[in-house]
Amino acid sequence: MIYVKNLYKSYGKLEVLKGINCHISEQEVVVVIGPSGSGKSTFLRCLNKLEEATSGEIIVDGIVLNSEANVNAVRREVGMVFQRFNLFPHMTALQNVVLAPEIVRKTPKKEAETIGLELLAKVGLSDKADEYPDRLSGGQQQRVAIARALAMKPKIMLFDETTSALDPEMVGEVLAVMKDLAREGMTMVVVTHEMGFAREVGDRVIFMDEGIIMEEGEPNEVFAHPKNSRTQAFLSKIL
Amino acid sequence: MEMNWAAAVDSIPILNKAALLTLELTAGAVAIGLVIGLFMALARLSKLKIVRALAIAYIDFFRGTPLLVQIFLVYFLVPRLLHWDTLPDNYQYLAGVLAMGLNSGAYIAEIFRAGIQSIDRGQTEAARSLGMNQSQSLRYVVLPQAFKRVIPPLGNEFIALLKDSSLLSIIAIQELFYSGKIIAGRTFQPIPMYLTVALYYLLMTQLISQWVAYMERRMGKNDLR
Repeated sequence: MIYVKNLYKSYGKLEVLKGINCHISEQEVVVVIGPSGSGKSTFLRCLNKLEEATSGEIIVDGIVLNSEANVNAVRREVGMVFQRFNLFPHMTALQNVVLAPEIVRKTPKKEAETIGLELLAKVGLSDKADEYPDRLSGGQQQRVAIARALAMKPKIMLFDETTSALDPEMVGEVLAVMKDLAREGMTMVVVTHEMGFAREVGDRVIFMDEGIIMEEGEPNEVFAHPKNSRTQAFLSKIL
Repeated sequence: MEMNWAAAVDSIPILNKAALLTLELTAGAVAIGLVIGLFMALARLSKLKIVRALAIAYIDFFRGTPLLVQIFLVYFLVPRLLHWDTLPDNYQYLAGVLAMGLNSGAYIAEIFRAGIQSIDRGQTEAARSLGMNQSQSLRYVVLPQAFKRVIPPLGNEFIALLKDSSLLSIIAIQELFYSGKIIAGRTFQPIPMYLTVALYYLLMTQLISQWVAYMERRMGKNDLR
């Protein structure tokens, strides 16, 4: 479903990604872990071209990310959830959810709202449809952001440290929604520091450091018996 | 010479008419300025170097030269550019509003640019990640938020513009200042007349700042950011 070949990315002289190769299959949940500055967020953001790769090839759902039209086509199929929510503050929760379906997919307003309300119910926020983001807690905002991404009926969901900006007591409610999605068979790429989530939900864990994939494998295997010394050092610090 | 307020009181109907004209001229200039300002702000933020350079040149010229000079330039240039042999009736109003609109377009462009740039990049990223193209994300996500933030500086610009419209007296537009000056000369009562004129300007600028404060309250209601 996602093919990445020889992906390089530099900011000026700073090389952030140094040749990433990977393949992510349909319905797979891939968890990307690694220390700060390892390039994991940059890697994720290259997958829907929020970051322009310096070189390399990315194919998502059969579409090569090489033209403006293709990029927009891929973005319609790939939902993204951000660390800082990025809800549109001038719109209610429901308006946040229905905006893209209405103007990008041209879904009729009525239909979009019906779907929007279903999605808000799915993330447990039926009663918050008419609230503005600043009236919602961090966890609620992040769940609205997930509903907003799902409203485009994406085939793939990207999660960029979606629980890192949350108060500890709100992490669980967001992870629960993500777990539901994984169970329903969504293809997911998740950058996270939540090792419990990685172990429980991940089909595969990728450990990145210094812009390359150092190690990957089945989560229990990687967590219990890390082969790479970097992975060992990283896991010993956080587990 | 003795101060006599009778002349000022007698002139109220004329001043009312003149004040209305001042408001109309300002409104016309604001309308032109807003349209030019929006396009120049977007041009100023364009990825294309040439578009950006043109916008910067425009803004620099209209901010860097006196409005008074611009009024004369427009007044004499337009008929030449359009090859008019005779000037249409009331041409000075057209030239006056156009000059003020062109001038305020430069200032409004910078206000809009600052407003657009003040919106967090994450907003555009969220919009683009949902499949919106650049103009959709501008229209539905960035601009509505930017408009809220530019209301206070826009209010300042409108007030400045209203006061600067007195410069149009130089091309014989009978706005508020021009009318006051004529009556002051005719009645030999400059002090009561100019005080009255000043009061008219003050009332109108107050009107604008009250309106701006109201808009700010109304639009800020749902947005603490």
